[in-house]
Amino acid sequence: MSDSKVLMRFTGVGGQGVLLAGEIFAAAKIKTGGQGLKTATYTSQVRGGPTVVDIQLDDKEIYYPYAVDGDVDFMLSVAQMSYVLFKNGVKPGGTIVVDPNLVHPTDEDRKTWNIYEIPIITIAKEEVGNVITQSVVALAIANTMMDAIDKQALIDTMLSKVPAKVHEVNKKAYELGEKYAKEAMAK
Amino acid sequence: MATREVISTGNELAAIAAVDAGCKFFGGYPLTPSSEVMHVISDLLPKIGGTAIQMEDEIAGICCVIGAAMAGDRALTATSGPGVSLKAENLGLAQMAEVPLVLINVMRGGPSTGLPTRVSQGDVLQAKNPSHGDYKSITLCAGSLAECYTETVRAFNLADRFMQPVIVLLDETIGHMHGKAVIPTAQAVEAGIVPRKSFDGPAEEYFPYECEADEPAVLNQMFTGYRYHFTGLHHDKNGFPTEEIETCRKLIQRLEDKVAMHEDELESYEEFMMDDADVMLVAYGSVSLAAKETIRNLRAEGIKAGLFRPITLWPSPAKKMKEYTDKIKNVLVVELNIGQYHSEVQRATARLDIDGLFKVNGRAISPNEIAAKVKELY
Repeated sequence: MSDSKVLMRFTGVGGQGVLLAGEIFAAAKIKTGGQGLKTATYTSQVRGGPTVVDIQLDDKEIYYPYAVDGDVDFMLSVAQMSYVLFKNGVKPGGTIVVDPNLVHPTDEDRKTWNIYEIPIITIAKEEVGNVITQSVVALAIANTMMDAIDKQALIDTMLSKVPAKVHEVNKKAYELGEKYAKEAMAK
Repeated sequence: MATREVISTGNELAAIAAVDAGCKFFGGYPLTPSSEVMHVISDLLPKIGGTAIQMEDEIAGICCVIGAAMAGDRALTATSGPGVSLKAENLGLAQMAEVPLVLINVMRGGPSTGLPTRVSQGDVLQAKNPSHGDYKSITLCAGSLAECYTETVRAFNLADRFMQPVIVLLDETIGHMHGKAVIPTAQAVEAGIVPRKSFDGPAEEYFPYECEADEPAVLNQMFTGYRYHFTGLHHDKNGFPTEEIETCRKLIQRLEDKVAMHEDELESYEEFMMDDADVMLVAYGSVSLAAKETIRNLRAEGIKAGLFRPITLWPSPAKKMKEYTDKIKNVLVVELNIGQYHSEVQRATARLDIDGLFKVNGRAISPNEIAAKVKELY
């Protein structure tokens, strides 16, 4: 497990559930004895406007609550307009995960960053069977690629924030996200 | 003081703080980015026998809060800048009639409807003088998640002590950020509550507005056998309108002096790495978090920077600021407006060479921007 600062950014459009994924990350880090902070920026067009969630995980106190542009280690994007707006916050050589059905990186982007294509929404919709679980698929992908937090602590925190009747489907979403992330990294 | 660790947002912590501080009534109208204060307290108050009402607009929101406070309850309203504009007239009524209440303003970009979802500190001067006439605002500003809780608690205690509205300024960043806060237990907060003063002598000897020249009115809880009158007009010791020359002068002077003569009870600030500082940053609210990060980075490069953070913005910690600015030449005020507190720092320190870094596009000021300004100037 990493003991230094991890900066992650989830971007999409309003209503996709990326806010909750950020809260889960921050809370899980705090529960395991570290510091975690989630901030979000969104437009007044809450549904459909570009949304960005910054997640900072650290062992020392976090002051500034946003990720500083150029320092972001990992970004996940499920909307083209958000991808374009926020990609330059990722440090050169950093990791970007996109849903290839929705986001289309340029050839130049592929040279600058480590870009993985995982069809997050299709996985949630067709393999998990519930599109709402896309945020948990995203959570699993981010944690698997960044090795940020103890897996069980993250899953436990996630389950504490969703109703009991959807625990199984969310666990399935996490396992599938992890599987796809490992396959993408192995390629 | 016994503490607890929570994971929450600033808005949620402010709502919880109100309930822990004994607030029994919330009236308001949801307004981004303050709405979660109302969401959370609407859930909490009915469970403890309190009341939360969504009124038809922000004006009605503060009017019913004034009514609840007149009846003797601790009462809260929450909004953002456009809502304060609407509530301004009735904030004036509460100043004049000496009705204690707490108003939380989670600041967003202005003027007018501005930038509803974006961060700003553009309401700092509005908080000083929301309504016309002479009175002295009490305004507190949270600079961390924990302070969203502790400053809201303090606001309720100060409102009852000074018998007037107390404004708590949050901003979009601090209201919505989600992380860890170590806050006092509800029991510790409850133990610290000092109820507002009341008169328990014979009813015919009760004159609510007859008090020392630097003390607030003593308004007994309604329906307890004591009669008095509320008005926004200049009033006599019973609260009835008057134009008697000396009574009018004394009333307005007392509204000023009940705060001005007791600033020591209100003063609150944080000194962050100020001991050996030769660059002094002045920042408050969420901007102070960026300033702290900047100071950590600058010190790693050998630049001795420190932060002076006013927590009570109005009245300002003028004497303490001057103490520092008399010793430190390089002073930079950083804020999300075009110098609203910068002018107060200039006034308080009698120095016109105080520098400023301002931003008004709805985006936060980053530590890199502050560091670049420090290096450019000093």
